[in-house]
Amino acid sequence: MNIFFGLVSATLVGATPILLSAIGGAFTFYAGIFNIAMEGMMLMGAFCAVLGSYFLHSWLAGIACGIAGALVMAGIFVLFAVRLHTDEFLTGIALNLFAVGATTFLLRDIFRVKGAFTNAGIRAIPTVTLPLLDHIPVVGRLLSGYNAMVYVAGLVVIVAAFAIFHTRFGLRLRAAGYNAACLSSSGVPASTVRIWSLVICAVCCGLAGAYLSLGYVRLFSENMSAGRGWISLAAIILVSGNPWGIAIISLLFGFFDGLTVFLQGSRIPTQFTAMIPYAATLVSLYFYSLRRKGRT
Amino acid sequence: MRKQVMSGVAGVFVALVIGAVIMLVQGFNPVQTYGALLQYSLFTVPALAATLARAVPLVLTGLSASIAFASGPVNLGQPGQLIMGAMGATLVGLFVHAPAPLMILLCIVASLTAGALWSGVAAMLRRLFSMDEFIVTLMLNFIADYFALWLITYPLFDPAALSPMTLPVSTAAWLPSIGGLNTSVLVMLMATVFCWLVMSRGRSGYEWRMTGQNALFARIGGCKVDANYVRVMLLTGALAGLAGGLMILGGSHRFVKGLGASYAWDGIMIAVVAGNGISGTFLYGLLFSALQQGALGMELITAVPSEFIDVLQAVIVLIVVAGRVSLNLVLDYLATRRRLREAQ
Repeated sequence: MNIFFGLVSATLVGATPILLSAIGGAFTFYAGIFNIAMEGMMLMGAFCAVLGSYFLHSWLAGIACGIAGALVMAGIFVLFAVRLHTDEFLTGIALNLFAVGATTFLLRDIFRVKGAFTNAGIRAIPTVTLPLLDHIPVVGRLLSGYNAMVYVAGLVVIVAAFAIFHTRFGLRLRAAGYNAACLSSSGVPASTVRIWSLVICAVCCGLAGAYLSLGYVRLFSENMSAGRGWISLAAIILVSGNPWGIAIISLLFGFFDGLTVFLQGSRIPTQFTAMIPYAATLVSLYFYSLRRKGRT
Repeated sequence: MRKQVMSGVAGVFVALVIGAVIMLVQGFNPVQTYGALLQYSLFTVPALAATLARAVPLVLTGLSASIAFASGPVNLGQPGQLIMGAMGATLVGLFVHAPAPLMILLCIVASLTAGALWSGVAAMLRRLFSMDEFIVTLMLNFIADYFALWLITYPLFDPAALSPMTLPVSTAAWLPSIGGLNTSVLVMLMATVFCWLVMSRGRSGYEWRMTGQNALFARIGGCKVDANYVRVMLLTGALAGLAGGLMILGGSHRFVKGLGASYAWDGIMIAVVAGNGISGTFLYGLLFSALQQGALGMELITAVPSEFIDVLQAVIVLIVVAGRVSLNLVLDYLATRRRLREAQ
């Protein structure tokens, strides 16, 4: 039973960063932007979150700084891809590499360390015990006592699903992806909608990054996003951006991520368990292709 | 072509100016820093030789990405293919015994094959199950990374070493250096000429470029698009594998943890900034290699951390690529105006 509870909690903890960045990416997906910069936004968010939390002595300030860092990345994306019409794919690759370079450089420049920065002065995002649920025996243990960001991620899914499918903004968002010229000619500039989708994406990726460096662990290490942005991109493509689908896929990846932690004590070498999330992505792509074949 | 050169030179210049501004903001002296950068990358013979040797993996992975992007397949698997190529060369170098020239040849063939096999996996998944090679190659990078780490931590681990690495490969497989110049540079030059011939003079290169620009047009024109796809994937995988193999044969002589760390991603960046041209890839490869080589000296002389170069590289990519698009717009505008005036 303990293993079961452990796996559930490891699943939720591992799913949170992928879920947050994938929801952010879903907004740009619907707006018709080929956005692969989630990885870089998340990494920048993680670094800026540590920066804010350490110097301003508050985890809330940390989250705010994380979002601000990701927004700067979104600003560069907007400048180049939306304003100057640079290829989105190229901008994304350059931004991801820029994030790796800039965070490594700033890590060295500000904290005078190489590799990783860890310090007791970094304030972590607190865990939350849900007031009523906590006292119910099994349910309480399953659902209560997680990092605050885990609950935020849950809320974000619901808000995103509502915003994309049931608001005027969501309609315009989907129109920008479906037929940008049509949207622009009816008086709503598609580029404005796209800029807003990138802003939302940056906020989500900033939250994901802040969770990585202030919740998942309490440190910043070089390239700590470790391909989560790419996995979230795979999740978006697999379910064509639907937030509920993204939630399910993210939980699946979270489960495999949690499995990695669980198998560390076993006799399987850690190098093989560490492959699991990436192999799982390949397997899910395979099932996606089968489903697509079945339809046609 | 002239436009490319113009926008490239202008873009690099603007990026360097932005780099200087960043340094000024941080309180460093840009003139001194750029001076040190040049001195330690180009202005002495040993530094120049080191710059050329460093350019080998950059140019080769750059060529791999260039050919792939120009021909259609989004092969982002250079990091994994490089690791597999290096592992192939290491395995042959450890377990096969042959006289020197043959040994080097065998190792190079092994690295080409290993790289091609790894990209071949992605190509096969695409052909059989229509799985997008873009994400497949990315995921294969991580898997190759952990697989190599397992190999050098357990089966091939050098017991005398403190961190995961293999034993050195047989000395017969070491690439000699001629007058201080690493001979892997010659292999890289040959590969570059080969790629240029294939892409700009060969029939297959023409077919691939047509497919990259308009797959439907190529198919209707009679190109075997599917077979070409597999060929491009295999060739680009082999090129990235060669980069890894040469890093073993001409560099560390053993597979060390973290080998080829960021070279392959830099190669992808080089292909992007060069607009997927062969000669452009070669030149930008040399530029990036000079920057990276000079960074070490820059750190010695000035207080600027060598990681600053990573930022500068990304700035160069963004500015040059954006500059190319905007410059084209401006030139088109000017040309149209001139034509209008002539018509009046």
